[in-house]
Amino acid sequence: MTETAPLLSVRDLRMWFSAEKKDIFAPQAVLKAVDGVSFDIRRGETFGLVGESGCGKTTVGRTVVRLYKPREGRILFGGVDIANLSGKDLAPYRRRMQMIFQDPYASLDPRMTVESIIAEPLKLQHVPKLERIARVWELIDRVGLKRDHLNRYPHEFSGGQRQRIGIARALATRPEFIVCDEPISALDVSIQAQVINMLEEMQEEMHMAYLFISHDLSMVSHISHRVGVMYLGHLVEMADMAELYQHHLHPYTTALMSAVPIADPVKAATTKRIVLQGDVPTPIDPPSGCPFRTRCAYCTKRCSEALPEMKEVSPGHFLACHVMQNA
Amino acid sequence: MALLEVQNLTTTFRIGVGTVQAVRGISFHVNEGEFLGIVGESGSGKSVTMLSVMHLLPDYATITADSILFDGVEMTELGAKELRAMHGRDIGMVFQDPMTSLNPLFTVEQQLTEPLKIHLGMKKKEAREKALELLNEVGIPAPEERLRQYPHELSGGMRQRVMIAMALSCAPKMLIADEPTTALDVTIQAQILELLEALKQKSGASVVMITHDLGVIASMCSRIIVMYGGTICEEGSATDIFYDPRHPYTWGLLRSVPKISTGEHRKLIPIPGTPPDMLRPPEGCPFAPRCRHCMRICRTVPPPQTDLGDGHRVACHLMHPCAPKIDRE
Ligand SMILES: Nc1ncnc2c1ncn2[C@@H]1O[C@H](COP(=O)(O)OP(=O)(O)OP(=O)(O)O)[C@@H](O)[C@H]1O
Ligand SMILES: Nc1ncnc2c1ncn2[C@@H]1O[C@H](COP(=O)(O)OP(=O)(O)O)[C@@H](O)[C@H]1O
Ligand code: SF4
Ligand code: SF4
Ligand SMILES: [Mg+2]
Ligand SMILES: [Mg+2]
Repeated sequence: MTETAPLLSVRDLRMWFSAEKKDIFAPQAVLKAVDGVSFDIRRGETFGLVGESGCGKTTVGRTVVRLYKPREGRILFGGVDIANLSGKDLAPYRRRMQMIFQDPYASLDPRMTVESIIAEPLKLQHVPKLERIARVWELIDRVGLKRDHLNRYPHEFSGGQRQRIGIARALATRPEFIVCDEPISALDVSIQAQVINMLEEMQEEMHMAYLFISHDLSMVSHISHRVGVMYLGHLVEMADMAELYQHHLHPYTTALMSAVPIADPVKAATTKRIVLQGDVPTPIDPPSGCPFRTRCAYCTKRCSEALPEMKEVSPGHFLACHVMQNA
Repeated sequence: MALLEVQNLTTTFRIGVGTVQAVRGISFHVNEGEFLGIVGESGSGKSVTMLSVMHLLPDYATITADSILFDGVEMTELGAKELRAMHGRDIGMVFQDPMTSLNPLFTVEQQLTEPLKIHLGMKKKEAREKALELLNEVGIPAPEERLRQYPHELSGGMRQRVMIAMALSCAPKMLIADEPTTALDVTIQAQILELLEALKQKSGASVVMITHDLGVIASMCSRIIVMYGGTICEEGSATDIFYDPRHPYTWGLLRSVPKISTGEHRKLIPIPGTPPDMLRPPEGCPFAPRCRHCMRICRTVPPPQTDLGDGHRVACHLMHPCAPKIDRE
């Protein structure tokens, strides 16, 4: 579809954790947190990832930036497969990819000053001291903090300010790609918009790509160019945001869209909520076939027999559902 | 008819570094059988307001009010014991995190039957039957089995259902739901909202829903109270608040949330700055430091409430006849 190769190309990514019980006679258990996920992200693009708690969003993000070593699959970054790199070979990619975390309280080291927090990734890259200082000053201005904040400690700041510190640190190495893992979930409504606008402005200026992870579909729809919907370790649907909003096909996407409360009483009263029954199954013992079949109203016999594959149902719109692919 | 009527409620907490002015002289009411929403950012005083009404605050809290009238009873004249008796019997509560309000050491059965025994004087067998009935009512599958389980063995959505069953066990006249779905996924949130709606229809109880989520408020509540910095800045019907808001904070709140929609990208307009520190709240209007229409009077004089009719009330100096006319941004 596009002429230029994507910045990031993830193919059939699997990340399993061991879920061993204490009982030594218990059968070996694995938790398939991410089980065969493929997607592309272009330069300057925001790819949103939504889905319920525990479906594997964070694990995708952490694996892609190689905080985890994947069990299987390829992670092509700028054309190079980094899935199995380590040590010195991986170091340059650590600079080119960064991560912003959900909890601005837990993700900043409380014993470090703001200055050393922001400068840390530069130090790891052996950037000379003077250049480091200049860069930190530039960043602190950029994220709307003041220079006299530099010698203070994280606990002296509000949630929104801490998230700005986290953003400054992520930007320090001028990355091409940033994973934003629920960057606003811990913030107040009125502060969320401040941070979202900042992320958007940064992207316009520096043209980096984002993987934006959130369970808040309205925020994801606001910031993302394309969106992937995850369920129980699998991507079930992926498309341009506008396409997904208008022509979503997967029964889970449909339920998710209808469950988002609309801040408009008339619209809310006239839109029917589709209420899914039951809970998400555990990834230790997922259903056979389609992961969504235990809650799906369209489930057929085939759904319990085979895992539906991702197919392109219209240009750029991918869907994994036996029934809707043929509808 | 008002079921609850609160006059001039003030709540402070004395802590090491000073006094937190959590709620600053607010008056409001809850009508019989209505679904009232209280919205505002974290720390604005939503929870403390309702906890003060229930007298469910720690010792270092000071609660004063001219009057708290619940169903004809003046609660400010009641002793601790009588207030405790009302809690659970006349007023039920559901909190954000069911894990902190359910006792991890007791089974679902023990926790569900206790209020039935205490408040309604039921015997063990009768209470157990009622507990099963309640679990059925809140849509818990295999209730017999659930009765034997401990809270940690349940999913978040299930725990919240158990909490709701507990809160409803004595058929209260008012249910207070404090961020009941904030910790849940949207599809589970939809289940719980649906359940609350159905239960309210059935029982006719008043529901006070505390949340920071405008979407939840819009889909559930007929009347809304907007809080900021320990005060009520605007109050009105859902239509007033969403389609004809008059307070600059309400404007800001509505503009800063994205609408899930197609194509055209509308930039969010954030409210600048941060919420006030309730140890040292601003002298005049609490929103003044963040308000782009702030006038000189706003910094020193707290704005009085202006009644626009039909229960739409606004606390903002812009309502004064001499103030500049500002259209909703
Ligand atoms: N280090 C780990 N060891 C074992 N299991 C893990 C680990 N990290 C994640 N998991 C499990 O993998 C699954 C996916 O987790 P992940 O954190 O990726 O979900 P998520 O979609 O980000 O959820 P949330 O919305 O709650 O953040 C979950 O069942 C989780 O418990
Ligand atoms: N137990 C407490 N001790 C001290 N301060 C408290 C306590 N509970 C609440 N507060 C303070 O009171 C204010 C209002 O809190 P709260 O009603 O919980 O806010 P909301 O529910 O709107 O998020 C905040 O400044 C909060 O820090
Ligand atoms: S594959 Fe079957 S069970 Fe899965 S979403 Fe489609 S219809 Fe439902
Ligand atoms: S009283 Fe003044 S500062 Fe407060 S909201 Fe109204 S205009 Fe803004
Ligand atoms: Mg996560
Ligand atoms: Mg609260």
